[in-house]
Amino acid sequence: MSLAEQDEALIRAANEGSARAWDQLVRRHETQVYNFSLRLTGNPTDALDLMQEVFLGVYRNLHRFRGESQFSTWLFRIAHNKAIDMARRRPVSTSLESALEEAGDQIEARWQQLDEVPEQDPQVLLDERQRNALILSQMGALPLEQRLVVELKVFQSLTFEEIAELQDISANTAKTRFYTALRRLKALMEQDHGM
Amino acid sequence: MACERTATLVADHFDEALSLLQREALERHALECPDCAHALAQAHQTHAHLLGWQQQAVPAWARPRLPAAQEKQPRLRWHWWQWAPLTLSCVLALAVVLNVQVSTDSQGVAIRFGAAPTLDTAQLEARLAAFEAQQQVALQTLTQTLMQQQATDNARLMEAVIDSVVEQFGDSTTRSLEQVVAYFESLREQDLQLLQASYQQLADSDYATIRSVEQLASLVQGGQP
Repeated sequence: MSLAEQDEALIRAANEGSARAWDQLVRRHETQVYNFSLRLTGNPTDALDLMQEVFLGVYRNLHRFRGESQFSTWLFRIAHNKAIDMARRRPVSTSLESALEEAGDQIEARWQQLDEVPEQDPQVLLDERQRNALILSQMGALPLEQRLVVELKVFQSLTFEEIAELQDISANTAKTRFYTALRRLKALMEQDHGM
Repeated sequence: MACERTATLVADHFDEALSLLQREALERHALECPDCAHALAQAHQTHAHLLGWQQQAVPAWARPRLPAAQEKQPRLRWHWWQWAPLTLSCVLALAVVLNVQVSTDSQGVAIRFGAAPTLDTAQLEARLAAFEAQQQVALQTLTQTLMQQQATDNARLMEAVIDSVVEQFGDSTTRSLEQVVAYFESLREQDLQLLQASYQQLADSDYATIRSVEQLASLVQGGQP
């Protein structure tokens, strides 16, 4: 059974009232949604709030899911809309320092979670921390519409046609936003690390 | 950026939806256009930098749960008797609303709905006549019963009297009968004497009253001019 078929089976069971199926469905996708939320909001607290809203939205609309697209596509459509709603309510303000600080908190939490894997290299974790913090900081410097295009294109691998449809813009506008965002990110990368 | 195609070219380069022919044309242009080649190289670096993102583990969070009301509840088992009070209430309410009347007579049980039917004069008279006939029959029966009872009582009284007389005058039948007759005769004479004395007393009283009235009348007449 493919992942998509497993998703559909879990959705059917959840729609019939199975709390266990719903819980499994959430656990299967929460990491993707959390990282999506973290990159868009720039901090773990807002990311958790956004993730909460996304899954509540998914639950409320689960009975409308017809399986015409993959569940993950449908899920990220909801996540995209919720992210826009949240960004309108809370402007993103992610400086490199605050991103590093929050990423540090994340690493601390990760350390605690990785007690069962003591062989994890601290240097790897430190690099991971710095890289993610940089990306958060740089993406946080982008306007929301550019940040969303980068997220959807780079991390969710959507086509420009799909992004255009999702954002109700033309494909050319989506491409322009993407290119502009990449240039801006490149400038920030050079500024941060002389890359 | 001197080339007008750079933005589209860079974006298309990362678009998986691009056809093979389009991709070949794009790469040919990048080979010929230094601006686009430079932009593409920088975009690749940026893209690779972004893909260096390490998935973050999800911190502990309150996963939304199915509302309790949505979770499957055990099906309640219904028994017919659970509906009995409700059914009875409904039947009684219906009986009140429809003004159901239940009556019994010699022909059995009668159930009527709505107000009782009104009687016309002829029906009323017929009912009264039937009632009167019933009363007559009941009265005759009662009278006969009373007469029988009285006859029985008289016979018992006579027996008691005869017994007392026999006890008083002996058991010779002929002589006793004569004595009984004489006894009743003496009682009758006593009653007559008492009756005469009462009449005489009443007459004397009336006479005294008349005389008093006459005296009063004469006094009244004498006092007048």
